[in-house]
Amino acid sequence: MSKFLLKKVLLIIPLLLGVTVICFTLVNINQSDPAEVSLRVNNITVTKEAIELTRKELGLDKPLINQYFSWLNNLIKGDFGISYENKKPVIDELLEAFPITLYLSLFSIFLIIVFGFIIGVLCALYENTLFDKIVRALIFTTTAIPSFWLALLLIYSFAYYYNIFPSNGFSGFSSLVLPSVTLAITYISTFVRIIRNSIIQTKNSLFMMYAKARGISKYALIKHQVRNAITPFIVALNMSIPRLLAGTVIIENIFALPGLGRVCVHAIFVRDYPIIQSYVLFMAILFIIFNLIADIWVQKYDPRVKQFR
Amino acid sequence: MKSITKILTFCLILVFFSACQSKENSIKKDELIYASTKDIRDINPHLYSGEMAAQNMVFESLVINTNDGIKPNLAKSWKITNDGKTYIFKLREDVKFSDGLVFDANIVKKNFDAILENKARHAWLELVNQIKSTKVIDKFTFELNLKNAYYPTLTELAMTRPFRFISTNCFKNDKTKDGVKCYVGTGAWILKEHKKNDYALFVKNENYWKNKAKIEKIKWRVIPNHQSILLSLQKGEIDLIFGSDGDMINLDAFTMLEKSNKVKTELSNPIASRAILINTKREITKDLEVRKALEHAINKQAIIKGILNNKETVANTLFSKTTPYCNIDLPVKTFDISMSKKILDNDGWLLNKSTNIREKDGKQLVLKLYYNANNAQEKTISEYIQSNLKDIGIKLQIIGEEKQTFLDRQKSGDFDLQYSLSWGVPYDPQSFISSWRIPAHGDYQAQLGLERKAWLDKTIEDILIQTDDLKRAKLYKDIFSYIHKEDVYIPISYSRTKVVFNPKLKDVGFNLSQYEIPFEKMYFEKSK
Repeated sequence: MSKFLLKKVLLIIPLLLGVTVICFTLVNINQSDPAEVSLRVNNITVTKEAIELTRKELGLDKPLINQYFSWLNNLIKGDFGISYENKKPVIDELLEAFPITLYLSLFSIFLIIVFGFIIGVLCALYENTLFDKIVRALIFTTTAIPSFWLALLLIYSFAYYYNIFPSNGFSGFSSLVLPSVTLAITYISTFVRIIRNSIIQTKNSLFMMYAKARGISKYALIKHQVRNAITPFIVALNMSIPRLLAGTVIIENIFALPGLGRVCVHAIFVRDYPIIQSYVLFMAILFIIFNLIADIWVQKYDPRVKQFR
Repeated sequence: MKSITKILTFCLILVFFSACQSKENSIKKDELIYASTKDIRDINPHLYSGEMAAQNMVFESLVINTNDGIKPNLAKSWKITNDGKTYIFKLREDVKFSDGLVFDANIVKKNFDAILENKARHAWLELVNQIKSTKVIDKFTFELNLKNAYYPTLTELAMTRPFRFISTNCFKNDKTKDGVKCYVGTGAWILKEHKKNDYALFVKNENYWKNKAKIEKIKWRVIPNHQSILLSLQKGEIDLIFGSDGDMINLDAFTMLEKSNKVKTELSNPIASRAILINTKREITKDLEVRKALEHAINKQAIIKGILNNKETVANTLFSKTTPYCNIDLPVKTFDISMSKKILDNDGWLLNKSTNIREKDGKQLVLKLYYNANNAQEKTISEYIQSNLKDIGIKLQIIGEEKQTFLDRQKSGDFDLQYSLSWGVPYDPQSFISSWRIPAHGDYQAQLGLERKAWLDKTIEDILIQTDDLKRAKLYKDIFSYIHKEDVYIPISYSRTKVVFNPKLKDVGFNLSQYEIPFEKMYFEKSK
């Protein structure tokens, strides 16, 4: 296990390097000149002199390879650069916005785990009953609904019409209910499907047949089935968490929550490259980390993988 | 047992929902909640990254632009020497910054010097280039010396930025160009709190020297999504939306809200010019005859009726006649398809009946129109123009681009037609025409194909430093007549600022500039 872990961790290094190269290149192959963007974002008249001055200020007058290594070197030191727009350190901008995104994601994950898991198990246990059919129809519908539309629908119903929740902004826990529900609904559908299918498949497996033959109780049988469904659930959840964090972009804009997604969208609009680069890098790192956690989980808890190790 | 469980569950849900009741729902009537898609950002009055409406709330200028001309503000009077090069301002002696610092000539000089320290960044404003020196005569007398007699001096001193005053306690190393330590001004409002991308809270300046604001607080809420803003407004969570050209509210939503009795709406007088810019340097549009044909091909009245819900007026000239120096009689180019077709036929652009596109020397009459994709109104107008041009055998490709790419294209001049909007008074016409000389602007690029472009730029320069009002008016007439004759712009309409608000909010009006919001005049009607 430790050998596997070491191998996985070591693999992260080239992967991260690759990610940094992509982040850096993505910004640099863009048609807009970062120096001009920096000037425009501050509503400064773009003149030849101003561009030259800004290029020097931002280190853009150096060869690309030097710029990359200088950027990488700073990243290692925890310096993510300075925002073009407000001249503040990018890391401060991201850290300031991160708590809102974190609360939003945690609450959504909580909803996904609770509802995704419970409904999934119930659907499998009551396979092909009216309950199962209704849930499957709902899953089909909610998966098809675009999240921005669902968000507006929820605002209209629960904020405007019934006046239960605030329609936008962050003023405590109540502000997170509608955005978290919007964010979680699509994932709940996916997880219900995963859990349901996994349990149904297990129902007809050989080990369940032996278990039944051994005459163990119905409760113990369900426990076996559910335990077997946990691994695909955890793997999918680990892959979903970074997606969920990245997915807050639309939700934060509709619900006017000042989180990471908002910072990123604004940065894209004004082409604040250091922020875009750092956001993409941050998301890529999250994907790598959660992928690693999923791998480790599977290695540790899935006996089928264990036997091939 | 089951029914008890049901009742308990119901009670729990009820408790949960009531706990979730938002504090925001109970609007305090001493606080006005204004929604904007944008954060106030850095409101340093000497830089440009902040929202102008917020800068205007906190920082003031020596003089102000009004419908009746320039009026005193922080300067109670001024004298201009006969050569028009020296302005001597007598300052008010009862003004203090909200940190207690007395506003005097030293502070004025330090602010001016801080602005001039950053000349390159204010190059768009000719006044900055014209200032020779600044001088303190006595504690409350300030002198401004210019290189030339620059006629829009007072108008530009009154603009929202950069000539506004910030407490010198906020300066960083005696400068403001690299940011400021605080945002302390002399204005009607004090910025008390700012949570980036969330809200900014302004409180009334109790020691304000002029008429104090009628409302205690203004909360500037940032809501990036337009639909969310509309729902919040109807719910009563916000009291005011204010903006121009579809950036805050499009005309469809405006008309819908106008009909509802939950909110009130107001429209300003025509403020800025909506037009299509034609590039005189491009292969097809360099031909004056093609530009002429385009002028007659667009049904402006239909755009105004069908897309702008009759909320704007038809523009026959680039600037409305109410804009200073623009009351000029120029030939009206009416919507006349047969005229357009005739012009194109005579110019050799003949209709290919199989493709329905005109051709000349084997080349098809295909043009590209670019617009800002984030603006729904621009998209619809562009689509309508596309159908108009199809009727005369021109294939118009319309391309919506993200704002930055759209701006990049202005600079490169890589367009046949481009959507254009002027800056409105007090920037129109002098600051807007001044920008025609800067290569980063689409106007400059579009005018490059004109035979007399050099003359145009030189005349603009002359206008700005011309002391004789009659001569200046003559020069304005010359350039506007030339631009009109050369068909560089297809004027569409004169746009208006739109405001939607809580019916209890009173005295909602407009400042001269579309970028300023007169919050200090507004108040809530007392509950009966």
